[in-house]
Amino acid sequence: MSEPVHQHIREFIVENFLFGDDDYELDNGVSLIETDLVDSTGILELVSFLEERFEIAVADADIVPGNLDSIDRIAAFVARKRGEGQRLAG
Amino acid sequence: MIQHQMDTTRALGEADVPVVARLFQKILRKTREPATPALETYLASVFLDGPDRDPQISSFVHLRRDGRVNGFVGVLPLPLLAGDRPVRGALCGTLMVEDHVDDPFAGARLMRAFLGGPQDISLTETANDISTTMWRKLRATVLPDHSLEWLRVIRPAGFAAEMAGRAVGLGDVLRPLARPVDALVRRRGDGPYWTHMPAGLPAGTLASAEVDDGEAAALFVELTRGYEVRPDWRAQSLARMLAESRRKAVYGAMVRRKVVARNGRPVGLFLYYGDPGRVGRVVQVLHAPGQAGIVLDSMLAHAGETGLVALRGRTMPALLEAMLGRRFIFVHASSSIVHARDKSLIEPFVAGRAFFNGFAGESWSRLIGDRFD
Repeated sequence: MSEPVHQHIREFIVENFLFGDDDYELDNGVSLIETDLVDSTGILELVSFLEERFEIAVADADIVPGNLDSIDRIAAFVARKRGEGQRLAG
Repeated sequence: MIQHQMDTTRALGEADVPVVARLFQKILRKTREPATPALETYLASVFLDGPDRDPQISSFVHLRRDGRVNGFVGVLPLPLLAGDRPVRGALCGTLMVEDHVDDPFAGARLMRAFLGGPQDISLTETANDISTTMWRKLRATVLPDHSLEWLRVIRPAGFAAEMAGRAVGLGDVLRPLARPVDALVRRRGDGPYWTHMPAGLPAGTLASAEVDDGEAAALFVELTRGYEVRPDWRAQSLARMLAESRRKAVYGAMVRRKVVARNGRPVGLFLYYGDPGRVGRVVQVLHAPGQAGIVLDSMLAHAGETGLVALRGRTMPALLEAMLGRRFIFVHASSSIVHARDKSLIEPFVAGRAFFNGFAGESWSRLIGDRFD
């Protein structure tokens, strides 16, 4: 998994859900829901960010904890989506 | 029970209605009373077979992984005209998710499912703070001029008694005490005062007269014709909405009157609900161009003569302008919002050239202000 993707996602979460608090220990595997970092508006904000920053299309069926509940899961989801995009383009 | 691999949204079906009714009771009405068959019947009637039904525009339920319905967004098709061009509108009414804190994905997916529909314009007139934030994240436009609740106090002591009655249940004791106080206060003429409306009618107040469903329907069409974006009501749909709007037991008796100029020409129509001693709820004020002020005056005069202590309702841009100087009070309770992929369709709403709220919304529905015992 490419670290820049993790880094971009982390920066977005810190900026938008932690109000810029860099001191918060946010492991890549920690659940964003169980730690109350995101609510339903946060999910929509996160999805808009992923679509714009990584130029991927997020379908309604993609909006599930398995794809979006931690930095690791989000990064893996972005990688899968980009792979799908490249296969379609190829 | 059917096992789903993951949470999902799908169009509302008849079999979902009892669960949706249960959620409606629990989440919106905040009661443990079970949903009645009357509520289930009405929900099915509005969301599965509503006015202007469009088979491609549907309400959605959200299903958990175990197949259980835990969320719902109620959608009403609203055919519109932009100039002479028909456009498809859809109105997002009820949005509810059971235990939404534990399942933040459900609300997000329901909103995306609704906005991903085939409609050209998506609207809501009842977004609470959470819903408003969600709409904003989806690039929607909040309409401040449509989003204010207005209040006009007529009898201040009666109004205070009504408020105290709601808060601590002493309304029946306080109302009789308020009447002589208001009679005294309302002797003070001239004005205008934000505290009360004088007992005597201001010179020039236009008379109003009751209208039946047929005349009301004709006035709805006539008095909205000047808006750039307006509902494209089918006669059958408007007739049904007018018939259903008669019943709002929680709000009180319906008052629906046309305002008539001295030459006999109708220049407006108002529709409110309320009983003497209570605060009346205004659902619609229609007016000919430039006549909003005199229609408001006529409506307030009628409410005063009927014995109401105040009127409240929702702003529209043309009304807002006429309310300035007439001592209305404004608060924000919920938001009216518009979303369209074609940004040119949003501009008339922002500029006040679109007819939206009330009957171009969901306020006509019995879900707002009626009982289903």
